[in-house]
Amino acid sequence: MDTNKFLFFFKDMQTSSYALQLVEVEKQFGDVRAVDNVSLEVKKGEFFALLGPSGSGKTTLLRIIAGLESAGKGSVFIGGKNVTKNPPYARGIGMVFQDFLLFPHKTVGENIAFPLKMKKMSATHQQEQLSWVLDLVRMKGYEDRFPNQLSGGQKQRVALARGLVARPDILLLDEPLANLDRELRKEMEVEMRRFQAEIDIPFVYVTHNQEEALTLSNRIAVMKDGHFEQVGDKLELYDEPATAFVASFLGLNNTISGEVLRQENDFSFIDWKGIELKIPTPNGIKPGDRIAYYLRSEKMHINPHGKSNPVDGSITLTAVLRDIIFKGQYSDYFVILDNDEEMVISDVPDIESLKIGGKVDVSWLPSSGFSFAADGEE
Amino acid sequence: MASINHQASALKTGQVVLLVLLYIFLYFPLLFITYDSFVHNIIWPFPPEWTLEWYQKLLGMSDFHAGLKNSFYIGLFTAIPATLFSTAAVIGLLKYRTRWRGGMILLYISPLFVPGLLIGISTLMFNANVMGMSGKLISAIIANTTEDIAFSFLVILAQLVRYDWRMDEAAMVFGATPAQVFWEVTLPTIWPAILGAFLVSFILAFNNLEISYYNLGAIPTLPTIAWGSLRHGIKPELFALATVINMLVFSAIAGLFFLIQTGMVRFGYRGE
Repeated sequence: MDTNKFLFFFKDMQTSSYALQLVEVEKQFGDVRAVDNVSLEVKKGEFFALLGPSGSGKTTLLRIIAGLESAGKGSVFIGGKNVTKNPPYARGIGMVFQDFLLFPHKTVGENIAFPLKMKKMSATHQQEQLSWVLDLVRMKGYEDRFPNQLSGGQKQRVALARGLVARPDILLLDEPLANLDRELRKEMEVEMRRFQAEIDIPFVYVTHNQEEALTLSNRIAVMKDGHFEQVGDKLELYDEPATAFVASFLGLNNTISGEVLRQENDFSFIDWKGIELKIPTPNGIKPGDRIAYYLRSEKMHINPHGKSNPVDGSITLTAVLRDIIFKGQYSDYFVILDNDEEMVISDVPDIESLKIGGKVDVSWLPSSGFSFAADGEE
Repeated sequence: MASINHQASALKTGQVVLLVLLYIFLYFPLLFITYDSFVHNIIWPFPPEWTLEWYQKLLGMSDFHAGLKNSFYIGLFTAIPATLFSTAAVIGLLKYRTRWRGGMILLYISPLFVPGLLIGISTLMFNANVMGMSGKLISAIIANTTEDIAFSFLVILAQLVRYDWRMDEAAMVFGATPAQVFWEVTLPTIWPAILGAFLVSFILAFNNLEISYYNLGAIPTLPTIAWGSLRHGIKPELFALATVINMLVFSAIAGLFFLIQTGMVRFGYRGE
């Protein structure tokens, strides 16, 4: 016990350069382990995303950081201080909630100044901070309105302002854009990156939306069943997924699985429902094992049949073009292969030569996909 | 088309007639007794011979002032603890979820199912025999509080089920201690419900006959005066008394209505 205390003290000293540190945090709800042995460091000025499907434990983890949920085991350090036993009001955090949770009986100004009032800050100082943050979120002139007189985007700005006004050690955001429509969400994504860059307060951002996480953050932790699948730079996660779950969760994927027929150098040849495919060999895989292979749609190319000019080492398959979804800078092409399987390819729009129902060539480099030992499920 | 329109207007007329009949059913006896309290010929008061003599007699009654004062005290000092207790009960019940919730609610509101007469008799027995305080204002107040906790519990519960307790969490994250959360966020949002429960408790205790009667013995309240004088036959000053009580209650409700209409008070949780 004493050694533990000493260890925590030692870690306390060490963590001063981190805005947030989690040490082996656990949380159990009945039979469910909502958070399972999670450790994490978030640096000052970082925009960190906790990404995972619903039920992965990301919101519980955020609530543990906020102190709204107690950690069953482990420690939470904020701004270098061990706050594991502190109530939410003694943690020096700001938070933005999914439903905004603005106080309905208080004006915009009173809502935003609430954290300052709780700190018993002088009226002049409060006014200074309020005016600074209203400038930041571009809500000058709205101080006297009530929350029910604001649009969704304005409420979001007020919620952000309230989170930032006291210059917390860390700002926690719980799916803050989930209730906004698509256009507003795009706009707020840009705004949030601007706020974060301007004020240098680290953001810990919970979302189930991979696009949001990739757009906004510097680093991402992908969460599943209460534990981290992978933590790292967002490009690293996208280009070098460590697990099948991360590979399948990020990007628009074609999932291919099959049994290994034979192996050559670093490659395995699998039987994909009648088509023999060359894919990279995952660690420890031998002939007869099953492999899951994730191929990003944007790593593939599509051309009219016979007109492809693939790079060396590419695989080319013929297919029939079933549908085209025009996205602007690119299109998603849905094709049916000879084995009746469907694939999606994201490539430059080519209205001239690619027609629905026409024959096409689909090509990709085997090494551009990610392969893992298949764990039984597709 | 024409016949459909005709049917629709017939239906509408029918609804209006029904509405008027319902209001007559609800208020005619009250209005009649008010009217009767201002006339001399009370048995068949048409045409009326206007008079204020019944009010003069009422004011002359030795018990009237004491009764008014006692009723007011019982109303006020019952409503305060009843509202406080039931507010705490509702908040606790909604905030800390437990599987005993249904049973706990039942225990809070079951005094409503006990006849007032029984509450009166049993509190009299208990207060007199066990506590040794019979015939005191305080025992009537305690007995009324029992029943009015149940009433105000229901009034407050109906409003507070819509309160979003995550609002309290938000306040706490922004540095508010539990006490500050209550004063800054919870109370300013839920006070109309508490005021409503206070008024209901006050009016119920003020008007209560059977619970108060048993506990008070010889101490008069407005309802016990009315009850007492009834035993000597219907006297016209009773009409005046009824009118006075109705007016007091009516003005409390009208005042509340005015506050709501002018937007000074909003009932229920507004949300965002």
